[in-house]
Amino acid sequence: MAGHGESEKKSSDAVNDLQTFRAENLQSNMKVIYYSRTFLSIIGGVIAGILGFTGLTGFVFYFLMMAITSVALIAKAKFSIHTYFDSWNRVLLDGFLGGLMSFVLFWTFAYDIVHIF
Amino acid sequence: MAEDLVLDTAIRDWVLIPLTVVMILIGILRYFVSKLMQSQPTPDAKVVKEGQVVVRARNLRAGANFIPAKSFRARRAYFSNEENGLLHVPKGQGQNPQAQMFSDPNMAMDMMKKNLSMIIPQTLTFAWVNFFFSGFVAAKIPFPLTQRFRSMLQNGIDLSTVDVSYVSSRSWYFLNLFGLRGLFSLILGEENAMDDTQRMMQMGGFGFDPTKVQT
Repeated sequence: MAGHGESEKKSSDAVNDLQTFRAENLQSNMKVIYYSRTFLSIIGGVIAGILGFTGLTGFVFYFLMMAITSVALIAKAKFSIHTYFDSWNRVLLDGFLGGLMSFVLFWTFAYDIVHIF
Repeated sequence: MAEDLVLDTAIRDWVLIPLTVVMILIGILRYFVSKLMQSQPTPDAKVVKEGQVVVRARNLRAGANFIPAKSFRARRAYFSNEENGLLHVPKGQGQNPQAQMFSDPNMAMDMMKKNLSMIIPQTLTFAWVNFFFSGFVAAKIPFPLTQRFRSMLQNGIDLSTVDVSYVSSRSWYFLNLFGLRGLFSLILGEENAMDDTQRMMQMGGFGFDPTKVQT
């Protein structure tokens, strides 16, 4: 579900433990993360609105959604984060707050259309 | 205060949905207009050359641990010795980017176009929303908020007894303005989303040299 763009694997030297990163590839991987998070937050917002979550439940749903996204991204990276990204925070936290705004908007929108009127 | 307001379905059909659709369409329109107005920058051979040298030097630094120390030193000398190194700029000749920006009228023009293509549609939409949709209670956010948010969410209706979670049409416009950014970056590609933050960075660090950024 998450991660449409195929991430290129950077050359990891088996002998040398030192990690090198190509800035372009790293950036493209981060872009994939940003896209999947935005996409999932919009879809999640619509789902939360249609199901009629209110108050804290909706935010818990958002956290759940983001956790699922993180797990999916990690699975996509074949559980070796350091092959694709330079730190765990990139996978777990990047784009978290940016998605929240979209989530709230679409949550409100779907909730109003379905439940309020 | 606790009982629910009953909102007319006509408000949904003629305020909430049109407003959102118009915001999305205007965002797309703005993207294409700004794309049309963008002048193609003609790359200057000297600038491109300098940029490539910087990239090579950065690659050398990143891979410094993979080559023998002797060859690293030889390459470093090639880039940065005092007489004829590629990266060595004689004192006083370095042009600061701010002066460069003012000497090149195209750059200022481009920035102004970008800003205008941003501000004009926003002003127009805001005026349109104010004119057509003022005073509607258009939506209700599905979570409770404190009284402090009243001025933010009920901009345009002066009723102090309505529950804070009800949103006026004008505030729905603002919510859209911020929340749709993610959607635009999905449907228009990342340039649109990155644009704002990049411009902000440009404004913030004015005398800051992008070639000096370390990855």
